[in-house]
Amino acid sequence: MAPILKLENLTRYFAALAAVKDVSFEIEPGGLVGLIGPNGAGKTTLLSLVAGSLKPTSGKIEFEGRNLAGAKSFQAVRAGVARTHQIPKPFRTMTVRENVEVGLRFGRREKAAGATKKAEEFLDMVGIAALARRPAFLLSVGDLKRLELARALAARPTLLLCDEICSGLTETESGLILRLLCDIRRAGTTILYVEHNLRAIMSVCDPVIVMNYGQKLAEGPPTAVQNDPSVIEAYIGKKAMI
Amino acid sequence: MSAADFLNLFIAAVLLAGVYAAMSVGMTIIYGVMKIVNLAHAGFLMLGAYFVFEAYDRFKIDPLLGVLLAFPVFFLLGMGVHWLLVRRIATSDQPTLTSLLLLFGVWLVLQNLGYLIWGNSDRAILTPRTLSSIEIGPISFPTIRLAVFVVAVASLVGLEFVLHKTWFGRSVRALMQNKEAGQIVGVNVNRTAQIAFGVGIAFAGAAGGLLAMLYSFNPDFGASFQLRAFVIIVLGGLESFGGVAVGSLILALAETFVILILPASYQPAIAFSLLVVALIVLPEGIAGLWAKRRRWA
Amino acid sequence: MGQEAAVGVKDGGGNAGSSSVSRFVSVVAPLLLLASLAAVPLVGPGPNIVRLLFMTLTLVTASVGWNLIGGFAGQISFGFAVFYGLGAYTTALSINGGIPPAIAFLLGAVVAAVASLLIGLPTFRLKGPYFAIATIGVSEAVRVVMMNVPFTGGASGYRIIDKTRFVQSHHYYTALVLAALAVGISILVRRSKLGLALTAIREDQDAASDLGVNPFIAKLAVHALAAALAAAAGGVYARYSLFIDPDGVFAFRNGIAILLMPIIGGVGTIWGPVIGAFVYGLIHEEVVANFPQAHLLIFGSLLILIILFEPGGVMGLLQKFLRFVRARSSVGSHS
Repeated sequence: MAPILKLENLTRYFAALAAVKDVSFEIEPGGLVGLIGPNGAGKTTLLSLVAGSLKPTSGKIEFEGRNLAGAKSFQAVRAGVARTHQIPKPFRTMTVRENVEVGLRFGRREKAAGATKKAEEFLDMVGIAALARRPAFLLSVGDLKRLELARALAARPTLLLCDEICSGLTETESGLILRLLCDIRRAGTTILYVEHNLRAIMSVCDPVIVMNYGQKLAEGPPTAVQNDPSVIEAYIGKKAMI
Repeated sequence: MSAADFLNLFIAAVLLAGVYAAMSVGMTIIYGVMKIVNLAHAGFLMLGAYFVFEAYDRFKIDPLLGVLLAFPVFFLLGMGVHWLLVRRIATSDQPTLTSLLLLFGVWLVLQNLGYLIWGNSDRAILTPRTLSSIEIGPISFPTIRLAVFVVAVASLVGLEFVLHKTWFGRSVRALMQNKEAGQIVGVNVNRTAQIAFGVGIAFAGAAGGLLAMLYSFNPDFGASFQLRAFVIIVLGGLESFGGVAVGSLILALAETFVILILPASYQPAIAFSLLVVALIVLPEGIAGLWAKRRRWA
Repeated sequence: MGQEAAVGVKDGGGNAGSSSVSRFVSVVAPLLLLASLAAVPLVGPGPNIVRLLFMTLTLVTASVGWNLIGGFAGQISFGFAVFYGLGAYTTALSINGGIPPAIAFLLGAVVAAVASLLIGLPTFRLKGPYFAIATIGVSEAVRVVMMNVPFTGGASGYRIIDKTRFVQSHHYYTALVLAALAVGISILVRRSKLGLALTAIREDQDAASDLGVNPFIAKLAVHALAAALAAAAGGVYARYSLFIDPDGVFAFRNGIAILLMPIIGGVGTIWGPVIGAFVYGLIHEEVVANFPQAHLLIFGSLLILIILFEPGGVMGLLQKFLRFVRARSSVGSHS
């Protein structure tokens, strides 16, 4: 089966600093791939590159066979790639529901009719349906994270890029979100999931990719990655969490 | 064109660049520390011009001395404006519409005050220095331009000293790079912002005085220079002092040498065109290019 | 959004009674306003009042137009004098060329829309303050060019030879229809998909793009619409005054005025620009009559006060007042 996403030597510099350097990997369709690494490893930069929010300095990004490198993010959305943001970026003066409507009407397969109803479905999926009419600037961080997910899902992506969607949520809420990700994946959406909560990643993702200093350290099933010496070294002291 | 002519033009451009740099550096400081585009800069240039003029006209104070006096006077004025108005609006890491409009309002008010106090006739500062020049071989320096250049450069050197050798200067540089980190290590943001605003206005006032020694002026005076300041800091990258120097030089050279090609009435258009070109081609200014260049090192 | 947006009042789920009242108000009030404005020339208040209202109505059109790009999309342009002036000159040239006035206004709008694309293509890539600065530069550049172009009379201006008899009410009703059209367009944009995109762009352009909004097309489209309206206003003015010059129509202070009006009234709302235009028009008239030398001082101070104390302008004050009233009345009903 052809990979849905293929990265080849993807590199991005900020002045003299290589935030992402020569990263290559493939994602199979229907996969739930985890991306972990210490702070500053370049995970969010990588997501931004795939999503089109940033332009790569060099390297290839192939999505469903099409070259996506250099595409702007709205073009990537049209192609079927949507992302959430590590630090939520809500449309502050709009209501929660209107936020989702933006994703709904400008993502793929937009239809105006029934947008309000459909938007509330997405809110329901992530568990914030009760907040539909509230202005977004009043939401807590956890709720904003869930809004990010609802918004991105409303754009009907084939590949969903999640950036630390569980940080700021309680155990119960995280569990709900993880189960939701599994449901989405079963329904056919591929997911690339960046997370700091190692237990969450290891419980649902396969394979797991580890990054550090902008480069790919390891890749493989969770158990293999956990026991990879270079990974342990990068996470010294964190092994106790797993 | 002979070598001597070329050299004369070149020197004239360099002398002009010095003043332009002094004129623009005030906006750079304010933008760097507070992310505020000071649209009132023109107003303070104008006030500086009249300040030096009045000092000379009424009190017979030498204009160069007037410029030096302008520094502390406008520093206090700037701090006052900050205390009265600027500190009341929220600032963020991105320039805000609010700050833009607030200072725009201040400019409108200053312009009108200028008209009310001094009327709209042109003034000029004429001293014996204005018409003399110094000759070294085939090259002649108009004395006034030389004097203005020296004062401008001296003040910029003074600024560099303050920025690198004093606590205030370090705070400013810290805030310019990262406001939150600066706060965490103990920089008093509000105090630094107030002082930075004062310094920015001080340079605006003093530069206005310097420019008044070179050109005639009326209350509309600041506008065309403000535009030039925009060009310079856009060319230079809005937050880089080195960029201001480079930008000033480029603009001064362009304006000086374009006389060889186009009639003088098109000179204002030079600044406009450079501005548009700079904005389109160099969105991060020359400083951006400089930063990128380091990657290959 | 809908009706509440029309009044600029957000009804966050208040009781049903007040929401239907506000719906009633938001439909009836504008119609009443329109009717009373239409009736003005018929009651014979004198040519000066009619002239004042005429000018104000052209300002409404320009103000509502600017608000589309400056208020809805959040792109602050200081250079709308360009479009006003282009509309004025295009209309003037067309009328002198024998073209009927309605077509002349339309031509002006088209020319301005094309110009807006030329200006927008390079400048909309710029972030906030850079864009504002660029618009200042463009505005002044065009004025300088127009001062020197001999074909349109250069600095001495251009005269329209209008063969028809001057009937003041014709001009007045033209301005009124145009203003009503502008407000109608504004409401339509607000409720449309484009309106949703613009709000998203205003709040966070990158996030909007990350959800599939093409910010460039959206901004260019609304910029063209805004420019067309400002140009139409300029054209209507030109036909009335029969003489235009670069220092008049392309003046930077025109761009300031066009920007100031929506801010005074409430930037980003539907009726804010309308209110702002009326406030500005009246103050302007008073100031020019009695304190011509304090013109900039008054407007500058007004701008400062608004920014410091009520950035939402008149509409913002109105919202606060209505919230206060609603809070008082609900307290009363519980006792």
